[in-house]
Amino acid sequence: MFWKTLLLILMCCVIAAAFLLPPPQSQLGEVSRIFYFHVPVAWVAVLAFLVSFVFSISYLRRRDLIYDIKASAAARLGLLFAILATISGSIFAKSTWGSFWNWDPRETSVFILLLIYGAYFALRSAVDQQDRRAALSGVYAILAFITVPFLVFVVPRVYQSLHPTDSVIDAGFRIQMSTPVLATFLGSLLGFTLLFIWMFELDYQISRISFEKMEE
Amino acid sequence: MRMSSNLVTLIVTLVIWIGVFLFLLRLDRKVEKLKKEIIP
Repeated sequence: MFWKTLLLILMCCVIAAAFLLPPPQSQLGEVSRIFYFHVPVAWVAVLAFLVSFVFSISYLRRRDLIYDIKASAAARLGLLFAILATISGSIFAKSTWGSFWNWDPRETSVFILLLIYGAYFALRSAVDQQDRRAALSGVYAILAFITVPFLVFVVPRVYQSLHPTDSVIDAGFRIQMSTPVLATFLGSLLGFTLLFIWMFELDYQISRISFEKMEE
Repeated sequence: MRMSSNLVTLIVTLVIWIGVFLFLLRLDRKVEKLKKEIIP
């Protein structure tokens, strides 16, 4: 309970700081404040897909259904946070590029990522037998995660994109942020990561309870 | 004008966050209760 109270206070401070503390970016204006939510949400999506990948490998090695439950819980949260990143990105796109959706390389790659992980759940719901479903979706989650670095980090940098690429680190891998911006950003990253851990634990426990009930 | 618009967005975001937090807390308690019933 203690760390949950800390999370509540941390996120309230981050939200207040994001709107009040750092000055808006000179070219983008007030909409630039979405950076403090959009980037951490996208980070959590990638982290969740990584967790799903790791638990899928664990399942295939040990054949314990608990790992499959954990892998699907992480993938579900990854999909949720990827959708949130897409929505927050669209709000940014509307005010800077003029429309919510432009089929920019970044938007297209996120769309493909959403389809890939949407298909993961279609696959899970299509197979009734538990062991078979766990094995098939485990292999699929591993293959799906291989595309993540390409779709999130490589494609938008290879093709010309309107999406800002140096908002966190520049081409020389240096952090180019003032202290209030950096503090708010790191606080938000920490807050969203803790929120993911909490949501993951809840999703896992709910899935485990329904699994135990089915076993009875 | 810009400051008041920022304040409105700040308050709406805070309300959404506190709503999400309370929902998760309630779910947390329900899960704990169910866990005690189903998994001894």
